[in-house]
Amino acid sequence: MSEDASDPGFTDDEERALSAVLDEIIPPSSDGRFPGAGELGLSRYIEQTQRRNPDLGPVIQQGLSAIDDLACSRSPQGFSALSKQDRLDVLNELASTQPGFFPSLIFHTYVGYYQNDRVVEALGLEARPPFPKGYEMEANDFTLLDGVRQRPKLYRVW
Amino acid sequence: MSDEPVDVLIVGAGASGAAMAWSLADTRMKILCLEQGDWMDPASYPSASADWELRRFGDFGLSPNHRGRREDYPINDSESPIAVSNFNAVGGSTILYAAHFPRWHPSDFKVKTLDGVADDWPLDYERLEPYYVQNDRMMGVSGLAGDPAYPPKQMPLPPVSLGKLGHTLARGFNKLGWHWWPSDSAIATQAYEGRAPCINLGPCIMGCAQGAKASTDVTYWPAALRAGVELRTRSRVREITIAENGMADGVIYYDADGVERKQKAEVVVLACNGIGTPRLLLNSRSKLFPDGLANRSGLVGKNLMFHPYAMVIGLFDEPLEGYKGPTGCCIMSQEFYETDPTRGFVRGYSFEILRGMAPVATALWGMSLGRIPWGAEHHRAYADLFDRTAGMVVICEDLPESHNRVTLDPDLVDSDGIPAPKVTYRLSENSTKMLEHCVARAEEVLEASGARSTTAEAPLRPAGWHLMGTARMGTDSSKSVVNEWGRSHDVPNLFIIDGSIFVTAAAVNPTCTIQALTLYIADMIKKNLANLFD
Repeated sequence: MSEDASDPGFTDDEERALSAVLDEIIPPSSDGRFPGAGELGLSRYIEQTQRRNPDLGPVIQQGLSAIDDLACSRSPQGFSALSKQDRLDVLNELASTQPGFFPSLIFHTYVGYYQNDRVVEALGLEARPPFPKGYEMEANDFTLLDGVRQRPKLYRVW
Repeated sequence: MSDEPVDVLIVGAGASGAAMAWSLADTRMKILCLEQGDWMDPASYPSASADWELRRFGDFGLSPNHRGRREDYPINDSESPIAVSNFNAVGGSTILYAAHFPRWHPSDFKVKTLDGVADDWPLDYERLEPYYVQNDRMMGVSGLAGDPAYPPKQMPLPPVSLGKLGHTLARGFNKLGWHWWPSDSAIATQAYEGRAPCINLGPCIMGCAQGAKASTDVTYWPAALRAGVELRTRSRVREITIAENGMADGVIYYDADGVERKQKAEVVVLACNGIGTPRLLLNSRSKLFPDGLANRSGLVGKNLMFHPYAMVIGLFDEPLEGYKGPTGCCIMSQEFYETDPTRGFVRGYSFEILRGMAPVATALWGMSLGRIPWGAEHHRAYADLFDRTAGMVVICEDLPESHNRVTLDPDLVDSDGIPAPKVTYRLSENSTKMLEHCVARAEEVLEASGARSTTAEAPLRPAGWHLMGTARMGTDSSKSVVNEWGRSHDVPNLFIIDGSIFVTAAAVNPTCTIQALTLYIADMIKKNLANLFD
């Protein structure tokens, strides 16, 4: 649902295609610990990001159209209906023909993915901002300075 | 519209402006500070929100050109390999600084005498030493006594946590027999003067939500305001005005609504940093000063010094817990600080150990290097980097060169229509050689610490944090802008107290020296009040 009534956001087809693209950019891990970026629902994050960044919207829209064109040349059902290999072929072609879109999509996918609670927990961290809880750290071991303390003055005197 | 005249008008509420306001407050003079930024709300700092890592690309980015805040002014740094990083608010750039707080060495004040380059300062370490102590107490500085790289000193608070990462690097320095020491940091490691202790949040450089970091909005300013100083925010000064007798008589500024106002003053003090101060002086042209105020020497804006930085990142096999702890100040090494002619350059540098990277930063760093691809290899590549990085910056001494300068941009203006500064800067041959040397030594110590590979970037473009030299001090009015206690040679009631007045740059972060110098200048003003303008 768009926050702006004049901006309907992604269509269902666009969202389906984008989720499939995101699952190729960051697929689920083979051990099942990490979800795919599409499975995680990051298409919604990309939609919100483009809404916050007016310059990004046209780039994303143009890129999604390019994906659709490339995918439909292989299957009329679009990207999500392609085989794994066809999906990779489309994205590799996209990477060379849409130099503005694809790196930008990867950037925002990485940002959205690695601040997602499920992913942060899968990394072994608590899913929370640093404040207010902070972090415990090991006690300082200043016996490591014993050798340094024995050195003569390092600053110049004259 | 004209405001009530004041005795002392300070322009800028950052590191130096705050210290000056506090120190002069005991004179009971009427003191006003004008600050173009506003008070910050620590509850809004990124570390309190889930998207905290992302905000370093937005409203808490380093560059005023990218932040897009109304309080900032643009800076044309297209003709410089180093981009300016600053912040405009009550507290100034101390809101975003890493709070690394090393003093200068005694030799830093005598570079001409000792090394035959640049100029000596008109004062020395011994003169500033009591003001360093006073400032350490006001800011609440943590550190450990006994460092052989410095004359004896004692910090009010114990050092910040080294953590697993810091201990790992310390062992590497020990393996090579190189100097290292816990950093002096303007971070309260215990409850101090109403400030809560550091809880190792990590992103100090996006503001400290805990209030442990000594930005001047939580140190000097509360004390100065209690003592009766007035601080007027969202007030951007356009120019300093001059009376017919050649004395400064106030400023013209824009208030929060963009309305032009005049403020009269007996004494004007500039505390706008090494870019903002020459910008303001050059924009204050008059019949008496057609080339800019206080610029009869022609040196306003010239001799801009940054610290050329290298960043070297080591990749380790073991987790380092590098996302914990104060970002910018863990341990420091000054093994290569003092001049050694066999190295092929004069002066030297410091190693400063940073932390590692949090999840998003890891992904973007790996992406930028092509080490974390999209697709099937993504998770394996990410796991290879996450929490396995240790960062180190090397801060090199810059030397003053007149072609490195700040001028007014002919086209660019801020949101009030005031001409923006333009930076023209190039690295010297000495700096280039020093960067090559320091990167090789940084790689050596990271490998000695156990790094399996390293990645270096030099010079580090966004590292223009330290802005110095553009209104230098000295005793000769033809070779300097202000005298040995910050008073303009040309305008006796105009003082400059920020990094502009530095003669040389040393190879450490400048904030504690800026503030010590400010407290010294404030004391000189107080001692000379009866005949201040003679």
